[in-house]
Amino acid sequence: MISALDGPVAASAERRVLVVGCGVAATAAALAASRAGAAVMMLDGGTGASTLSTGAVDLLPWEDADRARSGLPADTRGALQALGGYVLDEGGTRIVTSAGIVRPAYGRDAALLNVGPLSGQRIAVVRCRRPGWDADALAPAWGPSFEALDAVVLRHGGEDVLPDADLAARHDESGRLDWLAHRLREAMSAAGGRWAAVVVPPLLGAQRARAHDLSDRVGARCGEAAGLPGGAPGLRFENARDRALAASGVAYARARVRSVHRCLTAWRVIGEQGQSFDGGAVVLATGGFIGGGLEFAPAEASLATALPASARRAIRLTLDASVALGAYGRPLEVSRSLFGPSPEAIARPFARDALMDRAGILANEDGSVPGSPGLFAAGDVVADAPRAWLAALASGARAGTAAARCLGRSLVTESAQSSLDGEPASRP
Amino acid sequence: MALADGSGSDEVDVAIVGGGINGTGAARDFALRGLRVALFERNDLAFGASGNSSGMIHGGVRYLSRSPHVTETSCRDSGYIQRIAPHLLFRIPFLMPLRSGPAARVALELVDAYFRAYDDFQPLKRGEPHCRLDPTDLARLEPGLVGALAGGVSFDEWGVDGVRLCVLNALDAIEHGARVYPHTSVESVARSVRGDERSRYVVDARDRLDGTSVRIRARAIVNATGAWAPVTAGLIGVPQARVRVRPGKGIHVVLDRRIANFGILSEAIDGRQIFLEPWQNVSVLGTTDDDYYGDLDEVHATSEEVRYLVQGVARVFPSVRLARAIGTYAGVRPTLYEYGRNEDALSRNHRIVDHGADGAPMVYSMIGGKLASYRLFAQELCDLVAPRDFGVNVPCSTHTRPLPGAERVPDAVETAATYGITPVAARRLVYRHGGRALRILERAARRPSELDVTCICEPVLEAEVRHVVREELARTVDDVARRTRLGLGPCGGMRCAARCGQIVAQERERSPAEGRLMAREFIHRQGLARAVALGPQQARQEALTFAHLDASLGRSS
Repeated sequence: MISALDGPVAASAERRVLVVGCGVAATAAALAASRAGAAVMMLDGGTGASTLSTGAVDLLPWEDADRARSGLPADTRGALQALGGYVLDEGGTRIVTSAGIVRPAYGRDAALLNVGPLSGQRIAVVRCRRPGWDADALAPAWGPSFEALDAVVLRHGGEDVLPDADLAARHDESGRLDWLAHRLREAMSAAGGRWAAVVVPPLLGAQRARAHDLSDRVGARCGEAAGLPGGAPGLRFENARDRALAASGVAYARARVRSVHRCLTAWRVIGEQGQSFDGGAVVLATGGFIGGGLEFAPAEASLATALPASARRAIRLTLDASVALGAYGRPLEVSRSLFGPSPEAIARPFARDALMDRAGILANEDGSVPGSPGLFAAGDVVADAPRAWLAALASGARAGTAAARCLGRSLVTESAQSSLDGEPASRP
Repeated sequence: MALADGSGSDEVDVAIVGGGINGTGAARDFALRGLRVALFERNDLAFGASGNSSGMIHGGVRYLSRSPHVTETSCRDSGYIQRIAPHLLFRIPFLMPLRSGPAARVALELVDAYFRAYDDFQPLKRGEPHCRLDPTDLARLEPGLVGALAGGVSFDEWGVDGVRLCVLNALDAIEHGARVYPHTSVESVARSVRGDERSRYVVDARDRLDGTSVRIRARAIVNATGAWAPVTAGLIGVPQARVRVRPGKGIHVVLDRRIANFGILSEAIDGRQIFLEPWQNVSVLGTTDDDYYGDLDEVHATSEEVRYLVQGVARVFPSVRLARAIGTYAGVRPTLYEYGRNEDALSRNHRIVDHGADGAPMVYSMIGGKLASYRLFAQELCDLVAPRDFGVNVPCSTHTRPLPGAERVPDAVETAATYGITPVAARRLVYRHGGRALRILERAARRPSELDVTCICEPVLEAEVRHVVREELARTVDDVARRTRLGLGPCGGMRCAARCGQIVAQERERSPAEGRLMAREFIHRQGLARAVALGPQQARQEALTFAHLDASLGRSS
């Protein structure tokens, strides 16, 4: 840590990739950069869209059809593997949601049930008193092969109103899983007939997905339905992330970043508490509107009564960095109203392909920000990127790899420069 | 969907078109006098102005100088509504700050005198007399007020949930034999070929949700369709010019919480009086008044109107800019027609048009009116029609008989303890349903899962959702939201709309797909109403709402 804004940059810092963010794009960037040989430090500014995800692994915000499963780049697969806990099923994934649909996805959190291969077979939906969970409404909504099943799933008082994540944490204990398996077997045999699978509310583990463990114990496939944001899948993501980062030696600090700027030969990142971090490359993976990387800030919002001093862009990055924001491949323009743009023109559901869903940092395919060598962007903060889990992971992996490579390059040029300056180049 | 009656006959005495406060109020009054009533509503009960008002049965202090009798009748009837639905009313104390300036002293004297005159009417509605306040008082009462203030006054008004008031009138009418058909559009009103006075008119209507048709024979017809009145007149075959209204669009902006202890009056940039009021568990900014020429079924606020209100209120109460706007609503007032005056100067009076003179005996139109005096309007109509056309001399009792649930209102905290629900939910439930809250909870006590909270923002119990579908004619997620405020909170229905669709589909024995469709329609409509007020505080939730619904319910149209 260096306190002064323009203090000297430690030579070792120039060989480091700083990843700003802690969601799926940031994690993929950190893992990919680390795999490419860079030292990595992740700056965690709090949870965002990844923690609010409900377990579907998508390349598009809404998968309306099964898509070809080929063509996922190696670094994306690598990052997904390093993260652990996620599955890309051969032959496609179909998950059920508590809103009552069966939907295709590219992959899933391993705790979710893939009902794709079970078509036509009898699937039990457990009846239990959990918020928003009504097996008798869900089973007919999902299709004729689903049947509500009377089963005891809740063990202790108060579990009917316990938050999803807390109930899921109780299922990290193998004793509880044994108990649940026993109850489910009882229920299935009481109902009679053969059951191919069991759908439960989101509760199968907080540390890891326990669906596989439960399936082994029950003797039928068990898995969750996708529920509401802020539940078990988000918590499992965070735990998987922490394990993967620890295993690959990524350094970590809690810091909400205020600004990113060039400082001599390196990039300097300043946190809200004044902390500063230096790196040879920076990956901005701070999220979109959900994650808090972007904000909607029409001019009128900042004032009480007077007219705004000048028109400005209504969508802003929440940290200072010399990047251009844009959408639809073009830079974002200053609003022509002093009060800000009409929301009708930029927000859903008025706008079909809404600016709010597109705006972000204008970046190249590999995440590099034009005009700012060593600066990269990944995930929902990137302009025109699909706001989806796997898309964020893929862009993070690309940016992380590219950042690590650029580190090498900048070191070369820079060591040459250092030699010219008469200082010894410190390369490993 | 026919309710009650039991006679199964297709003959009624009075067919009322319009399920707003005037239509449901008249239906109740006719029914209480023993007449057979059928009521048709093209959309949902309280769909128009009645359900999109400022939510006050105010005394009409604005009209005091121009038409004091409007103020008097408003105050008197406001008092009656307190008697028949005490659970539905809540006090809203208002502050009217006056900015310093050359004429401020004089203005304050005038305002003080004006409200002294208003105080004469306050006892009619159990209102407190006004207080004259100096700048120190104002700062103490409402620290959020800014600017150099010369002083001001406080005055007292009552808030009400206009939708609930309509629904309760309709329910009471049903319980006294009326048939109420929401979502049913009248397609034609014809003279009966039988020429029999007992069934002079044949009303053909069609259910807009499932397409079934309804035919009713009626001796009298009442057009109570508010801003739609001229359109309805065309269907009935009476001259539209006789029922002209001047539709005035009014919008409101909803903030996520009560950001002030008082309602606050302010001046908009054009000098119009606008306000911020704490209302139920939100704050409401209102209102605009602009001539409206658009589709009456699709009235939406625009972002310009939102900015006009926010700017005007921010002048005296700037923290409104930092508050989180979570939606808007819009309605069209059925003001009496006049050409050449500006909107605010129009009379809020009401008028009964007897179309006997137009060759249509026993056809009446209710034009104009306001929420606070709906009961009186209905009484005037029934006092005219019941004796003259039906020889019924039963006196009006709508001002003394409690509305459903108002007979005995239970204590919310005790109710919460008895049924093991959170006091917050109990309080909201008792507010909306009065004594009927116990009926809802009694049923749910036998099915404990129905005590689950479906909408966390409001909150709304699953049992209440089921109740309004079973007992209060709700047929869609929109209808449930109107009656319970489900899904109208900060999350925009992200957590509850799909679940509510499932419950409505279950209760109505419809397919799950239909339930999802209703949920999507609700989300879409609410999204349109929220987006125009979009600010930094709500943008993040907005993105999450749509992202989650895309992923869990499918991308809506």
